[in-house]
Amino acid sequence: MAGQSDPHLSLFSAAEVEFLAEDETLEIVPNMKMDALNFICGDYGPFYPQITIEVPLWLAVALKKRGKCTIRPPQWMSVEKLTQVLEAERDSPREFQPLPFHYVEISRLLFDHARDDIPDMYMVRSLIEDIRNVRFHKVETGLETISARTHAVKLKNLSAMEVNIVRPFVVRTLQAFYKHDSPQMIQHPDRMANRQPQVADRGPRRDLRRR
Amino acid sequence: MAQYYNIDDIIMEEEIILVVFQVAANGVGLLDPSAETNSVEQGSKVELPFWLAQELHLRQAVAMNVLACFNQKNRCPYFYELGCKIAPLVGDRTIGSFLLYTFSSRYKEVLSKAHSAAFAVAPKFLTLLTKEETHLYEAARSSMAAFKKWRTGGPRFERASILGIKRKPAN
Repeated sequence: MAGQSDPHLSLFSAAEVEFLAEDETLEIVPNMKMDALNFICGDYGPFYPQITIEVPLWLAVALKKRGKCTIRPPQWMSVEKLTQVLEAERDSPREFQPLPFHYVEISRLLFDHARDDIPDMYMVRSLIEDIRNVRFHKVETGLETISARTHAVKLKNLSAMEVNIVRPFVVRTLQAFYKHDSPQMIQHPDRMANRQPQVADRGPRRDLRRR
Repeated sequence: MAQYYNIDDIIMEEEIILVVFQVAANGVGLLDPSAETNSVEQGSKVELPFWLAQELHLRQAVAMNVLACFNQKNRCPYFYELGCKIAPLVGDRTIGSFLLYTFSSRYKEVLSKAHSAAFAVAPKFLTLLTKEETHLYEAARSSMAAFKKWRTGGPRFERASILGIKRKPAN
């Protein structure tokens, strides 16, 4: 499934990442009575009015569109929590804060469809935008430290959409560096004690992010 | 011959290399614009495309100079690939590390420009990039653009453009 949109870039399109994000569960409060729904992916229990139930996001959005429920925003989506996360992001220049993997997509879907269910919507929205900008900036700064000796890049706690954006660039960068660093290209006759025909040792493993 | 069908390879091998003929060659005087007869003398400097120069080098008929295209002024778009091809042939061992160094320093510039959405900068900058770097740049730019487009929202389903074509019923 990866790369269906553009096989050369090995990229999920943004809509595909959003589709994957819709499997995340969250809580809704239905306002009608309905029998259990049986799907291939699972059964979502009988719905009673005003009883909270946990359903996947796609089902929640579908029910919301038909006016059959109200969505409860997830725990991490409150102004206090997000402000905390933003402060922590700004304070640690090399680390990412743990956030739900699909926070970008979930927040966008909720803003589009469940606007009235989120308290302080504009504040939450601007906080999430700020968090996203700060994190992306950190990614860019970190990527500048890739040099010839890098085998792989490890970015901890990065979310799905951010990974998707940088994936083609990082992959191609690593490929290009690998191509230029192959041992037949770089020969240091005075430094190497014995010439090894195999790939030379590329140095110790360095994480892009310290823990 | 590893990339026989690769179009980039083919175009890249057209690049001009300055060579010095080690032997005299008859019948190919048109290669050397200053030759009076239809032959190339030994020791004359001729410009040949890379594919020809490579073959002749393997047959020990020419000696390749470390080429003009490697200096700063005229940078051909196939800078890196050409360097990779040349390195095993020419006796200059520093090419590889030079390429690497160039690439890593240029890479930083590319990176800083790539993900930002400043469209005004694009045209002037792109002409200075080699094919590889343009590849990188395009990848980052397109993924960023796609994300922004998605973020502004819009209908999930797009109507296929062919459905919008209305045809008048034939009378």
